[in-house]
Amino acid sequence: MQYTENIQIALGGLTDHKFRSFLTMLGIIFGVASVITMLSIGEGAKREAIAKYKDLGVNNIIVREKNLSDAELEEVRARFSPGLSLADAEGILAVAPDVDRVVSQSEQTMEVKFADKSVRSTVVGVTPGYTDILNYAVREGSFLTNAQYDGRLKVCVLGAGTAHALFGKASPVGQMVKMGDQWLEVVGVLASKTVFTETVGELAARDLNTDVFIPLTTFLDRFPRERLLESEIRQITIHVAESDKLMETSRLVTQILDRRHWGNADYNIVIPYELLKQEEKERQIYNFLLGAIAAISLIVGGIGIMNIMLATVMERTREIGIRRAIGARKRDIMAQFVTESVVISITGGLIGVVLGITLSLVVTLFTDITTYIRLYSVIIAFTFSVLVGICFGYLPAKNAANLKPVDSIRYE
Amino acid sequence: MNNSLIEITQLSKTYDMGGNNVVHALQDINLAISQGEYVSIMGPSGSGKSTLMNILGCLDTPTSGHYLFRGTDVSQLDDDALSSMRNREIGFIFQNFNLLPKLTAVQNVELPLMYAGVPLRERRQRATEALGRVQLAERSEHHPGELSGGQRQRVAIARALVTRPGILLADEPTGALDSKTSVEIMQLFHELHEQGNTIIVITHDPNVGSYAHRQITIHDGRISSDKPNENIRLAKTHS
Repeated sequence: MQYTENIQIALGGLTDHKFRSFLTMLGIIFGVASVITMLSIGEGAKREAIAKYKDLGVNNIIVREKNLSDAELEEVRARFSPGLSLADAEGILAVAPDVDRVVSQSEQTMEVKFADKSVRSTVVGVTPGYTDILNYAVREGSFLTNAQYDGRLKVCVLGAGTAHALFGKASPVGQMVKMGDQWLEVVGVLASKTVFTETVGELAARDLNTDVFIPLTTFLDRFPRERLLESEIRQITIHVAESDKLMETSRLVTQILDRRHWGNADYNIVIPYELLKQEEKERQIYNFLLGAIAAISLIVGGIGIMNIMLATVMERTREIGIRRAIGARKRDIMAQFVTESVVISITGGLIGVVLGITLSLVVTLFTDITTYIRLYSVIIAFTFSVLVGICFGYLPAKNAANLKPVDSIRYE
Repeated sequence: MNNSLIEITQLSKTYDMGGNNVVHALQDINLAISQGEYVSIMGPSGSGKSTLMNILGCLDTPTSGHYLFRGTDVSQLDDDALSSMRNREIGFIFQNFNLLPKLTAVQNVELPLMYAGVPLRERRQRATEALGRVQLAERSEHHPGELSGGQRQRVAIARALVTRPGILLADEPTGALDSKTSVEIMQLFHELHEQGNTIIVITHDPNVGSYAHRQITIHDGRISSDKPNENIRLAKTHS
């Protein structure tokens, strides 16, 4: 019944002591702002990680040959391992029940040239279906077709970085580029991809934008192995239909390869999804810590409110006495003072929300940290600030309500 | 006896000051006040009249004895019931007015009605009406700081009247006013009494007490005399 009056009284108090109210709110303002900013930084990091792993395919298992020295290579060959081969890939597809697609690739790093320009690129020979299970978008032209693969044609698709280095803004499609001693025709250009800045599991970090894709058949025909004992292919990417079969399938793949390689562990298995989950878990702890620190500043803000409310109650003893004399019950006085502290914390909370959003945008704008504000973080921070107002306003309000009317009405 | 508005029997109030030091503020008070009476309670400071006023006004409870208000034993009530009693039955008028400085005159008068749960529209209407009864209708939007002492006390009287309480309880109502304004306030009290209100004035000033129809004197916590006023001072309208 008297909520509107209480709110009016509280707002009146705020505007009467503008500077004091502002100082009181400061703790809440910074608390809310830091909760929002911290959570937005955490969310930004999460989204960045997801994007990174999405490129590797969340339903994929990647089998990659270990980088072995000449001596090590000789040793595994002596122990009968043939190294990764197209036969391995076919075997996996045939035996593992949850695997629906498999692609193989081999690589060599070499100079790719057009006219007087030259750029160091990784030339990747791939089997058909490569873009179906790896997250590649074609910007111009088209990706390699089955016909080109079967026909062992001398065609290539350029990564965005290589295309830019060789052709600038001009269209490379239809042009001939030279790699090694071979001339290949450009049939497509890929869209730009997220640049890996750190190693993912056993996969070395490299810029996927400098890759050049050609049919694996062509690759094996035209580019002789760099070392005599080198394996046929460097990597097998296995697509699993259901992501909850990833672990099971990876165990099965290990068994298959173990048998085929005579127990030689000359390969690594990377499951991007598992790495993502693990990274997520680590980040959760980190986020929790950040959130806890921000929450502490909210609590400190609450103590500030309590402090000023205790002083306000002292100051207004006479007013409380008058209200009690004309019929206010204890709970009316309680409600009035709790409303007042909640109004302070809500006002501080709103300013904090605005500041927090601004800070997140500033962080994104001036640093290379990605931030992302989710609605729930704003709601959490704001709700928390209101709760702080109620909790820390309770004690001063209780004090006010318990003043004896007889004494407070004559308080000078 | 049964038609008494207020009936006090064997009432005492003691304060334990710690140690063996017990102060008997009121001892063995017996008092009955009927509807429509105009009573003054007089006594020097320290006589216990303020303690009596606190108990009469339901601000405090007696140590022993009974205080019946319209048959209800106030000494048995809890804090909420006492608040409600003050709200409905007691109209306080204080020496220093005790208005809330941030509220306008009409908002001050509305306050008791707010605590009584009266809806805003009716509140405003009744408060304006009460201000009219003390000739302050045009000042309703002024803050106490913009009003003279006499006007402030009249706002306080309007606030006391607005809930149509059982008694008007005035504590040194002219203590902060000059003599001319004091007479005006006493004139207003006279009119309110004529209209049927029960009025109790607590004062140390015989002048103020002389307007009442019944005079009670307190000394050392006991009623020393309780008699009709034979020389009622007639308040006249001053121009």
